[in-house]
Amino acid sequence: MKPTRSDRSALAAFMAPALIIMLVFFVIPVIYVVVVSVLKWNGISTATFTDIQNFAKLFKDKAFVRSVTNNVIWALVAGFIQVPLAMVMAIILSRKPAGWKFFRTVYFFPQVISGIALATLWRAIYNADTGLLNGLLRSIGLGDLARDWLGTVDTAFPAVLIYWVFYVGYYMVIMMADITTIDSSYYEAATIDGASDFQQAIYITIPLIKRTSLLTCVTLASVLGLRQFEQVYMLTNGGPANRTSTMVLYMYKKLQDTNYGMASASAVILIIVGVIFIVCIRALFNIGNDEVRAQKKMRRAVK
Amino acid sequence: MTESRVHHKLSPKEIVLGILRWFLILFFAAYTLFPLIWLTISSLKTNFEFLALSPFALPAVPQWQNYANALSVAGLGRMLLNSVFVGLLATVFNVIVASMSAYCISRFRFNGRERIYTLFTAGILVPLNALMVPYFVIINKLGLYNTYGGMVLLYCAIGIPMSTFLIRGLMDSIPMDLEEAAYIDGCGFYGRFFHIILPLSRTGIVTAATFEFLTCWNEFVFANLIVSSEKLRTIQVGIRYFTNQFSTDYVSMYAAIVISIVPSILGYILFQEQIISGMTSGAVKG
Repeated sequence: MKPTRSDRSALAAFMAPALIIMLVFFVIPVIYVVVVSVLKWNGISTATFTDIQNFAKLFKDKAFVRSVTNNVIWALVAGFIQVPLAMVMAIILSRKPAGWKFFRTVYFFPQVISGIALATLWRAIYNADTGLLNGLLRSIGLGDLARDWLGTVDTAFPAVLIYWVFYVGYYMVIMMADITTIDSSYYEAATIDGASDFQQAIYITIPLIKRTSLLTCVTLASVLGLRQFEQVYMLTNGGPANRTSTMVLYMYKKLQDTNYGMASASAVILIIVGVIFIVCIRALFNIGNDEVRAQKKMRRAVK
Repeated sequence: MTESRVHHKLSPKEIVLGILRWFLILFFAAYTLFPLIWLTISSLKTNFEFLALSPFALPAVPQWQNYANALSVAGLGRMLLNSVFVGLLATVFNVIVASMSAYCISRFRFNGRERIYTLFTAGILVPLNALMVPYFVIINKLGLYNTYGGMVLLYCAIGIPMSTFLIRGLMDSIPMDLEEAAYIDGCGFYGRFFHIILPLSRTGIVTAATFEFLTCWNEFVFANLIVSSEKLRTIQVGIRYFTNQFSTDYVSMYAAIVISIVPSILGYILFQEQIISGMTSGAVKG
């Protein structure tokens, strides 16, 4: 509808609160971190312009480099192990086996429990003396493997990372919603042609969700992997020896030290890494995309 | 789908796939449920039973007083109330503001409309954790550090892009004719909003509200950042301190964690459809 003249002021009044919020809590903060990232500032004294020194310092700091590496590993594991697992479960449950609603509900539990509560639960599970994991190992005669999972340099990061990988409910539900929109005649035709369930999944379901929900989930999982904070904060606080640190945890610690410049610089790196991930994943999913290939051919032909 | 499939004898390959399928289904279910059950059972043991006996043994007598301990020592009651209070207020403000902007974006063609909408969508994708520093500064500058107001404002604000997106999606599906008819009958901007659009987009608003409340309820990073007083702690911030408060009393700590998880699970089971549709529609279209 085109707004009438009398509508216009009402329209402005209705849009204003949301626009002010977007400005104050999204636009200005993003500009803020970019600007402050080139300053030396503790939030109180006068800020001094430092060029790109903050970034140079960041990459000289082993703790930060370790954080970036951890986040990248996290994002890759989330996008390329967790999401494929979720896809397998989405394909299985969308065939509606007995009790599928119950299983869907259960798989989704970790999504509604807060990250901090889950991390506390897993801290109890990994506990060296009283934890469930060591208890389980001892009871099946593998007591030698029992150890302080979060306190040992070699096992701390895998331990922090791995428990999350098998919580597939969120991505599974997104892909299930997509799979249910696939026209059932595809499957009927394939069944008549003698295609097995497995073949149907490979040749019908996966290609049809690849560029919709699968792409969304891989992007989402990677981006969430880059934002990790609660898990490491609660499980290890980055230790031992910064082995489990992440970019957001690093930023949080810099903020606690009132080093606003360094904290903002790491925020900028976080945003940049996020954008790189989104762009790369999109490019990856477009490999083998006929439309894109056709467009490239056309462009070449024009040249 | 299943009914239409032709019945035939199962080949060995299909039997293997069938077993594999059920193995996966049960593995993922056990992986989620088993730790929660272990936590609950441990929370009903005595500390001696928990520390000295097998982790799989059941408590001889369920120790309900662990829950009483958890409630009194940790001040859980206050924290739960804080979480509910902040979450409800933020949700109410959030859906009011978001409904208003969604109404404008969905029903009117005005200059800059597309650009504004792009801004909202970008807002969904911004890694909010990266904005920790500016949020801390803004809340301080507004004099809202360590106040309920600060939490309510920040929670309301960070949910605006998502809520607008969800409510707009529903408003777009309401036919224009209805509104045009009302317009011809002399129904004004506000009248159409309150009497036609708002009642018809109820389901979208409920989805957005559920999603927003759940986000508030589970939020930790900012609550931890902008509040220091013990009196204002939300349940999530409280959990962080459990480990110190119950340094040797493991079983009461587990009781406290169970108490903090139960509302989320109950709320989820009650509002399952809204939560799932909120979380998936945002992801699928976004």
